[in-house]
Amino acid sequence: MAATRTSSRSLAKRKALLLLVLLVIVGAIFGAYAYYRLMYEHAESPIADPEERFKYGSIGAEHDAGIPYWIFYVLPRMFPEKIPKPAGLAGFGVAWEQGKELPIGFTKKVIGFPRVANNCASCHAASYRKTLDENPTFVAAGPGHTLHLVAFFRFLVDCAKDPRFNADNLMREIRLVADLDWFDRLAYRFLIIPLTKKRLLERERQFAWIYRKDFPDWGRGRDDGMNLTKYFMIGLPMDDSFGPTDIAAIWNLKKYDTPGTTMNLAGDSHDSYSVIIDSALGLLGAAPKDNDEVLEHVKWLQAYLRAKAPPKYPFPINERLAATGKGVFDTHCASCHASDKTGKRMPLAAVGTDPERLGTWNKDNAVAANKVVRGFGIERKGLVEAPLEGYNPPFLDGIWLRAPYLHNGSVPTLRDLLKPPGERPKAFWRGYDLYDPVNVGFVSQGPEAERVGTRHDVSERAGSNQGHEFGTRLPAPERDALIEYLRTL
Amino acid sequence: MTDAVLAEPAKPSWLARLWQKRWARWLLVALILPTFALIAIGVYVALVLMEDEPVSYADIEQHFKYGSTGGERESGFPYWIFQVLPRVCSHHLPGPGYASLGLVFEEGKDLPVGMSKRRYQGLDRTFLNCAVCHTSTVRDSPQSKPRIYVGMPANTFNLWGFQKFFFDCARDAKFATEYVVPEVDRLLREKGRRLGLLDRYVVYPIAVAIMRERLLMLRGRMEPLLQHTEWGPGRVDTFNPNKTLFNFPLAQLPEREKHAAVDFPSIWLQKPRQGMQLHWDGNNAMAEERNKNAAFGTGTTPPTIDLAAIGRLEAWLLTAEPPKYPYPIDSDRAARGEKTYKQYCAGCHGASGRDFPAPQGTQSRECVGTTEREDELYGPHVGKITRIDEIRTDRRRLDSFSYELAVHMGTVYAGYPHRYCHYRKTFGYANMPLDGVWLRAPYLHNGSVPTLRDLLEPAAKRPKVFYRGNDVHDQRKVGFVSEAAELGGVKFFKYDTSVPGNSNSGHEGRRYGTELAPEDKAALVEYLKTF
Repeated sequence: MAATRTSSRSLAKRKALLLLVLLVIVGAIFGAYAYYRLMYEHAESPIADPEERFKYGSIGAEHDAGIPYWIFYVLPRMFPEKIPKPAGLAGFGVAWEQGKELPIGFTKKVIGFPRVANNCASCHAASYRKTLDENPTFVAAGPGHTLHLVAFFRFLVDCAKDPRFNADNLMREIRLVADLDWFDRLAYRFLIIPLTKKRLLERERQFAWIYRKDFPDWGRGRDDGMNLTKYFMIGLPMDDSFGPTDIAAIWNLKKYDTPGTTMNLAGDSHDSYSVIIDSALGLLGAAPKDNDEVLEHVKWLQAYLRAKAPPKYPFPINERLAATGKGVFDTHCASCHASDKTGKRMPLAAVGTDPERLGTWNKDNAVAANKVVRGFGIERKGLVEAPLEGYNPPFLDGIWLRAPYLHNGSVPTLRDLLKPPGERPKAFWRGYDLYDPVNVGFVSQGPEAERVGTRHDVSERAGSNQGHEFGTRLPAPERDALIEYLRTL
Repeated sequence: MTDAVLAEPAKPSWLARLWQKRWARWLLVALILPTFALIAIGVYVALVLMEDEPVSYADIEQHFKYGSTGGERESGFPYWIFQVLPRVCSHHLPGPGYASLGLVFEEGKDLPVGMSKRRYQGLDRTFLNCAVCHTSTVRDSPQSKPRIYVGMPANTFNLWGFQKFFFDCARDAKFATEYVVPEVDRLLREKGRRLGLLDRYVVYPIAVAIMRERLLMLRGRMEPLLQHTEWGPGRVDTFNPNKTLFNFPLAQLPEREKHAAVDFPSIWLQKPRQGMQLHWDGNNAMAEERNKNAAFGTGTTPPTIDLAAIGRLEAWLLTAEPPKYPYPIDSDRAARGEKTYKQYCAGCHGASGRDFPAPQGTQSRECVGTTEREDELYGPHVGKITRIDEIRTDRRRLDSFSYELAVHMGTVYAGYPHRYCHYRKTFGYANMPLDGVWLRAPYLHNGSVPTLRDLLEPAAKRPKVFYRGNDVHDQRKVGFVSEAAELGGVKFFKYDTSVPGNSNSGHEGRRYGTELAPEDKAALVEYLKTF
């Protein structure tokens, strides 16, 4: 009897144990499945074609800065009123090639589920059209002069702040375009959508500067370049500096190899490797998941961009006139733009352009940023730990596609730049990609430029077109010859 | 051990002991019965929700006219509500019933040509299919009976009026359970049927509310289009409504992109068109993408499209024949016209109505590497594109397909193997093959020239105002009779070539045959009857 009781008790115990084991197994299977569907990063070999890789290759930003694909897909449809033009995602002036699922600079990667993030090309791809009845030509590594970056930043946060951003509404919109399976449906409704909303709302604090009422808008093609590093990476509190500048052309980086040259408009970074790392960290929005992987990609980018040639001017050039212009250039321009001064630090007083950009960064910031990056375990020469003095005289390769001109994009064309500041346009529209071969720059006046572009008013903060009074008194023939020569660079 | 276990006297289980108590038995019954009832209801509801039964036809022509593309699932009107709306909202229709919108009814059919029926989630639903825009009628004279031609442009169907009717009705106070349900009941009684209690008190009131909400949402998106130049029968603005798919706010459209209505096309003989630039502006060379996109107009969405049903139609349309000209042709005169055709027209429109080989070097079906090559897209060859500064026809339709829209087309069907990747912004109009051209009047992409004979006149001499929607064929000028404002009480649509989007200019000058002698023009028109 006692034996029986013991045996039945041990049987019950065994049963319980079996049940427990079963539960653990089922739990583990489900856990593994959930991990696979939510977190597992699908390995992808990099895109073979270098230009395609630059335009569409992931830099790993999908982990922290990634937006779940279907949310990204439906947001412009759900919130068109938050887009500056009636053209969906294209309304932000992204460089978007026909037949492509995403614009240049937008990457898609499956980490559990497909996510969208950005790479360097989202800002560094230029678009131009030679005539009205023509599709745009896109130049990788060119300045994204059409991109309304601040509006895009604001869009994502504004969507998350909108009460319509909830699982019911998003799922209804997603259901119209995609056949999600049961897991995705549950995951989107109960995890992905609420978490995305939370993450985007957190950005509001980190991106406080995009809501400053006392700052003018950057407008298309401009970026307050040090902000991501300052407020996102180092996490400094918002200061009152404001210095949006033209998005840069990043081709032909080997020109910065000469010892002593520094990079960025104010010479605030030591070398291209550091600049690419810092920009990538800004896009990642957090410490890299895998340093080696990110740095390997950075090295690839550096090699690609060092070798990437500036684009050729797409209209005919009068070679003889250009040859004359070379002489004018050598006399009036070369001492800064094609000499051992080029790409090196120069005091502001020598040029006298708008000073605001210099106020957005300082030695302490550089020290702090370098420390953060070292803390990630990344070695680089880094940011220059010294006060900013002025703007580096830039190399002029591919200058024809780098309009508007001056560091803050305050002068629409080269012809305007060769006028005294008082005669340069007081207001113009930037972000229209129709090329103006006469004046060398983009069409910046007229109904279409106004419809597509954003207004730049030189009287607004950080928008002044003052300074760089060089070559502004050239006789017309010499000026025309100089412009012809500049087209060839 | 085993024996010992077996030897133990059976002890009544806790369940058996409970069962001996009267109150417990009652409690059990009281719990179990409702549970079973709930399960039964749940199963019933699940079965109802899983219902997805299209009316289908073995005969391909019947299938084309009345079969489903899947559009009823997402966009379907509840069948009986659709049937009673002309009674509820008769004041929003130009005449009695849906026929007053130019829909074609065959005898013994409860729905017009171009509408299909599907039982979906417990409700019969109906919506448009391809035939509504690609089937129409022809009459020999005002007195004769209309003959139905499938695949021809729906010359009489007023899609603008059709949309407007539903939008206006949805906004009307009469679009309410109070008005709609009794009409459904009455119609059912007329057919000897009854409206069930569930339908009367639950299904239809909800259906009315959902339908109104949907229609008002659509109206909200489409409303700015109603301020554009009226399409009239036989026309549709293809790509501005397409922008609502991405919810571009149409109220903010640039002026240039507005007023973009074009004629419905014929859709027969698709096989020889493979490799041609399709759509009026030649913006896509991939028929499957063109077809799926047209299917959005029949209410489909990527998850609900019935690819099998559409595939059946696609296969059929590859070789579907254009109808032969049913009236006498003067063969001598046609033979003279053939010479003129060879000299003036064949370069761009193909050697004949049947011989129009697609351009060489057709586009890749793959997405990767489909960068456009100018010489492949443009040129004086059938299926290629003539640039706008050369053809000089109205450019509204061209401009309505903006670059911004073109790139968005690349996102459609994302996540499916058939994501679009062939839409390209172009800068001209495609050179069309002319098969069955006698049924494709009025002419030019925007239907601004009523007959072939008029098209051979310089723009200044083409009719400035004419009437669309008549299905009586004009054998002399080839096209539909367009001078009469009305016929037998049916008013036609006044087409004014002076309003934006309606210009009848272009396709003119010596090379386009508008300077030929009158007898040569007549001969050419005679020859075109053979196409």
